[in-house]
Amino acid sequence: MSEQIGVMTRLRAARKHGAALWIPLGIVAAYVVVAAVGPLVIGYDHVATAVADRLLSPGSTTSDGGTAWLGTDGLGRDVASQIVYGARTSLIIATVAVTISALVGMTVGALAGLVGGWVDVVLSRIVDVLLTFPGVLLAIVVAGLFARGLPTVILSLSITAWTPFARVARNVTLSIKEREWVSAARLMGVRRPALLVRHVLPFVVPPMVAMATLEFALVVLAEAGLSFLGIGLPSGTPSWGQTVANGKEYLATAWWISAFPGIALFVLVVSVGLLGDQLSARLGRNRRSPL
Amino acid sequence: MRVLFRPIVAAVAVTVTLTACSTTSGGDSADPSSIVVSGTYPMESIDPHSAEGGSAGKEFAGQAIYSRLTRPDAQGKIVPDLATEWSADGTATTWTFTLRSGVTFSDGTPLTSDDVVASFERLMAGDSPIKTNFTGAKVEAPAPDKVVVTAAKPDAALASKAATLYVLPKTVGADFFKKPVGSGPFTVKSFTPGEDLVLSANDKYFGGKPKVDQVTIRTIPEISARLTALRTGEVDLVWGVPDDQLESLQSDGDLKTGSVSSHQVFTMWFNASVPALKSAAVRNALWKAVDFKTIVASLYPRTGELAVSPLAPTVFGYSPQQPKAYDPAAAKAELTAAGFDFSKPLRLQFANAEFRPFNQAVVSDLSKIGVKVELLEKEQAVFIKDLIALNWDVNFQQLGTAGFDAATNLGRLYPCAAKRNGYCNPKLDQLLAEAAATSDEAKRKEAYAAASKIIWDDAVGMFPMSVQIAYVWNKRLDGFTLDASGYPDFTNAAVAQP
Repeated sequence: MSEQIGVMTRLRAARKHGAALWIPLGIVAAYVVVAAVGPLVIGYDHVATAVADRLLSPGSTTSDGGTAWLGTDGLGRDVASQIVYGARTSLIIATVAVTISALVGMTVGALAGLVGGWVDVVLSRIVDVLLTFPGVLLAIVVAGLFARGLPTVILSLSITAWTPFARVARNVTLSIKEREWVSAARLMGVRRPALLVRHVLPFVVPPMVAMATLEFALVVLAEAGLSFLGIGLPSGTPSWGQTVANGKEYLATAWWISAFPGIALFVLVVSVGLLGDQLSARLGRNRRSPL
Repeated sequence: MRVLFRPIVAAVAVTVTLTACSTTSGGDSADPSSIVVSGTYPMESIDPHSAEGGSAGKEFAGQAIYSRLTRPDAQGKIVPDLATEWSADGTATTWTFTLRSGVTFSDGTPLTSDDVVASFERLMAGDSPIKTNFTGAKVEAPAPDKVVVTAAKPDAALASKAATLYVLPKTVGADFFKKPVGSGPFTVKSFTPGEDLVLSANDKYFGGKPKVDQVTIRTIPEISARLTALRTGEVDLVWGVPDDQLESLQSDGDLKTGSVSSHQVFTMWFNASVPALKSAAVRNALWKAVDFKTIVASLYPRTGELAVSPLAPTVFGYSPQQPKAYDPAAAKAELTAAGFDFSKPLRLQFANAEFRPFNQAVVSDLSKIGVKVELLEKEQAVFIKDLIALNWDVNFQQLGTAGFDAATNLGRLYPCAAKRNGYCNPKLDQLLAEAAATSDEAKRKEAYAAASKIIWDDAVGMFPMSVQIAYVWNKRLDGFTLDASGYPDFTNAAVAQP
């Protein structure tokens, strides 16, 4: 238990180190708030177009008297609303995909590490095989196989994203299970499932959290990539990648269509990445225990 | 010394780089007798009788390499090509074409009526979609300079259909298309399917050797990359340019722009074999719900015009109809009265990303009155397969009229037997058969006008827009034709000396 108290202490100590952790955390929190609250405040229908208001520059007044703060796209749809709704899409997909990947990866890795033997060999080889595929390529194949939609995108992104989790979980488990308290528990006759849940997993979780943050940034990026290529979400769902793609023909004349969602994506990915670095430094397994 | 030295090095480096850039970007097009062009669609084959027949890329290559009996000029009028004159018998069934004398293929062998017959047989033996133009027809060669075509039934449009029959030598071996022999203005220097086609001037061309020595037709799929190539001078001519890009190109002093009315019309058929779209009242109400006037004016301010007929104004048989008024409230009331099921989405299919904004705008207007539409952007091959199988509720197409004659559009697509849009009207069938059976132009025109009226009033489809093709070219290029089909002719093209 002292180890877990140590985690909290270290996180609290971070406040003293300040900016490096709290700035990216603040930015990510702002995105979450916008994604959660924004759609309730701004009404936006991605199917509705107002062709008379197309390609308005940022700050222009639309025909219904509103202001397009970040301009409108080639069909007169508000870019700012698309970013807000796109943020929700991105965050939902990334959260679900990363959660699934982390759970699957952690379970598979911990099982492989704890059980060992042929189970370990089989699971590890599956992980190795999946790791040899370029992730985005596999995602494109999967996204192409099924009908377009949210579940397909989540599946295609999760299908490779769980493998790094499994690797790390297995390595941590392998070293933890040799520790004295695990041996003691085993000698006292604690069954394997209980051993896994009570004595091993608590030490696997912190590095998973740090990894999940880094993976989150990659998934956000991959989702935008798929949507950019037109194989991600159906065109009725706003997504940053799609908005960037819609604007690519207008780069010379209406830069705002691609630029603003691009910036939104960039800031989120960089912030999450920085946050992930900070978390790895604090929770990562290198800092955990002198193994 | 050191302080001075650095800027000099930098300046030299910049100059060297710039020079290097200008030489590379000039590329082969800097050569005064050679031009590079990039059109709208890729070229997969240069066999004019192959299954890709009629697809824009191959058609364009075909007219540069081969000749045909007749051809449409840039405005769509049928003019002599290999045949200098032609005439039909009283029933428009037997057509006699007289061949131009002294025509030879690029390898020097003379072109005779036997080659025409052999080409016809080759076309009919293959699986080209063009062969339906000649179903049941016979072609004979009574003399070396005479070709007689006997149609299965009276066919007044045969002279314009003859423009789809490209003439190849009578013996076409397996390796023929590696080094094809034709009688067109150009010969093939090299061909990479889907990438580029390099043509050289044919000095044996009966119309005189073209002024430019070499024409490279390059496929650049991405429109922005194509326009960048045009701006840098890598490409001399681009056509099918979207309206949004035209404005900035017009202000470029090195470029010239021009556009020409084509024979293409945005055509959105309703599948009348689907129960929901069976009634003309429902179809008309749906048409009424879309504000095409605003959509066309906003998305295609330069190259689009609100259509008033299923045919483009350049086509024989065109007759303007009463424009449909935009009235969403009435549309909704009419749909409700007709018992239209608002909960079931209509499947609207289309291919090519360039038409996405237009279709999205249509979907938006329909959704305003509560009609749900599922917009399906399909890959070309899937789209064609589903189109023929009637696996759609609404189908969007930019539909052309080959030969600029209503026979190849109305006559081919709207009879009950064609089964292309589920619509069947015996009265329309009769009008179309009448139009095909007579060679009296006034009577044909009258019949097509009556047929257009039925198609328009019964809303077999929505006909929102007739299309212009925008050409943008480097000002050093001159003399090519702004072709209404999107197949520019470079026979008389010339490059100004710098």
